Amino acid sequence: MSPSEAPAEATEVTEVTRVTATRPSAGRHTVALFISELRLVFGRARTQVGLGVLAAVPLLIGIAIKLSGNSGGAEGFIGQVAGNGLFLIVASLGLSLPFFLPTAVTVISGESLAGEASLGTLRNLLTAPAGRSRLLAAKMVALTVFCLVATMTIWVSGLIVGFILFPVGDVLLLSGSTVSLGEGLLRALVIALVISLSLLGLAAIGLFVSSLTSTPLAAMAATFGTFIVLGIMTAIPQLHAIHPWLLMYRWQSFADVLRDPPYWHEIGRNLLLQAGYVAVFYTAAWARITSRDIT
Amino acid sequence: MGVAQRSRRWLVPVATVAVVAGVGTLGPVVADASPKLPSITAQDLLAKVQTAKVDGLSGTVRSEADLGLPAIPGMAPGSRELTDLLSGQHTARVAFASPDKARVSLIDNQAEQLWTTDGTSAWAYDSSKREATKLTLPAHKTAKPEKALPKAYDPQAVAKQFLDAIDPTTKVQVSGTEKVAGRDAYKLRLVPKTDKTTVGSVTLAIDSKTWVPLDVTVMPRTGNDPAVELGFTSVSFDVPAASSFTFTPPKGVKVTDQKVPAAREHPESAPPNRGKPVKPGKPGAERPDKPTVIGTGWDSVAMIRGANAAGLASNPAAGPLAQLLAKAPTVQGSWGRGKVLTTKMVSALITDDGRVFVGLVTLDTLQAAAAKAPR
Repeated sequence: MSPSEAPAEATEVTEVTRVTATRPSAGRHTVALFISELRLVFGRARTQVGLGVLAAVPLLIGIAIKLSGNSGGAEGFIGQVAGNGLFLIVASLGLSLPFFLPTAVTVISGESLAGEASLGTLRNLLTAPAGRSRLLAAKMVALTVFCLVATMTIWVSGLIVGFILFPVGDVLLLSGSTVSLGEGLLRALVIALVISLSLLGLAAIGLFVSSLTSTPLAAMAATFGTFIVLGIMTAIPQLHAIHPWLLMYRWQSFADVLRDPPYWHEIGRNLLLQAGYVAVFYTAAWARITSRDIT
Repeated sequence: MGVAQRSRRWLVPVATVAVVAGVGTLGPVVADASPKLPSITAQDLLAKVQTAKVDGLSGTVRSEADLGLPAIPGMAPGSRELTDLLSGQHTARVAFASPDKARVSLIDNQAEQLWTTDGTSAWAYDSSKREATKLTLPAHKTAKPEKALPKAYDPQAVAKQFLDAIDPTTKVQVSGTEKVAGRDAYKLRLVPKTDKTTVGSVTLAIDSKTWVPLDVTVMPRTGNDPAVELGFTSVSFDVPAASSFTFTPPKGVKVTDQKVPAAREHPESAPPNRGKPVKPGKPGAERPDKPTVIGTGWDSVAMIRGANAAGLASNPAAGPLAQLLAKAPTVQGSWGRGKVLTTKMVSALITDDGRVFVGLVTLDTLQAAAAKAPR
């Protein structure tokens, strides 16, 4: 999304309101719109169920590891959970990234505009003085907040379950050095942030697809289909020439936060790629929504 | 709002696609623009390189190898097998402080492999297995304990090998300038004069201030993509702190203690010669005896005894290698009969009487060498 667009338009509209002076201030409009959008997204039952499922991921992994007694043979972060509960956060985030999180993002983003259209509320919104561009911005902001809340749900749930079920202590980094528990938690927080930003490209695709149709299910299916096709393309070695352009190519780079010192190069490339996807699909959604006929 | 006006809005996303694609593809090209440097002769540049001495450096090294090795069926991706190391991209963080401190950490997907030495002891750590190996280095060997470390990640070492190989068979020229890891560098191009080798050219990027090679690119005789590229993506010539070369085994990590046998590298902790595929004589065959080198310069061929091609091909335990050999074409000549494996860089000939010939040469040269070789 474009943070620069919203203020620019806000000032423009403020000038208009200064002339007419009868309408409530545009700034208040925008804030009210954003808040109502957030309320809409997080008020939906499916959002709450989705977040509940995400919160259950660390619980399931934690119980499974606890019951199996040890995870000594397992490689990677899963293998470290039994020794240090903090790794339950990292392992849960890592395991949710390929499927659970994209599914949740697909559902919410597919719903965003198509859901309004199917209920008939989009018609009112498009004619409302709030403005279509600002409506779209509010939708994208709500999606961004959802991505953040989704990963933070896993972070908090993993923290609670991990601290209850397993011993915790100093954190062993990939580079073989150890950092304090506090720094480990901070690094896990950065991982959650990086992962939520990694989901924005998919959210923007979902927003665009959602602007094309008035059937939320079709939008979700199309978005998830796109996600799967991109995943398959990432797995085909013959396509390596275009791999760096694919949405999920650098998703796994979040683990670079756990190096000493953190290796930001791949993460930076991943976030740039996501920004590219967001720019393309957000503007496409904007072109669609602003040129759409009111039916 | 008219239809035309509305459809014009779609120009915005189209323009965004163009900008994103343009920045993504052209960005790196623009950044790599050739810097302006005073001209220098190839001889002067070579002399500077050979006397280059830095007290320490640290940086990130990226290697990319495309030797055209056949994909071996049944080889799990990510397994640390020879083919994995000889192909694909790898990134490593390296640090060096003279005379004997060195550290290399190979950045894997969600894992890391570390080798470090502070001169008295050396450590190898594998994050995916959470196992550390400690090597106590013999006291009298303190002068070169870095032997236990993968020199292949040190572009300086790799470049030296090529520089040592320079003799009348090679055309050497300064072929311009480029920016490597944000530093201005001269490009030194080595072209073999013989057409018996598969090496098209070797280009070194040499830092214009410290005269340290920053990048090595090996081009095959055919094709436009480098066979091997190894270079810094970032580098600093500040001497790293001594503490960065020490390793304290963390809690929960299995530690194995090992003594270094006096003269040779330890097979466990010394990593394979990754990044050094350009050097013949290490084909990864089954514990052969010392290789014999036939010929000199670019078209030299290494011969190793002790491999049994017929046995390998029929032995199912040999796995993927056997499958590969079974499919390999058979050739014969005055030297006997054998199977050949060729890639765009490396050729190998495995004779039925158990000799292996390997070189960066064409198949004809390989067979000619085999005819000259002692039985």
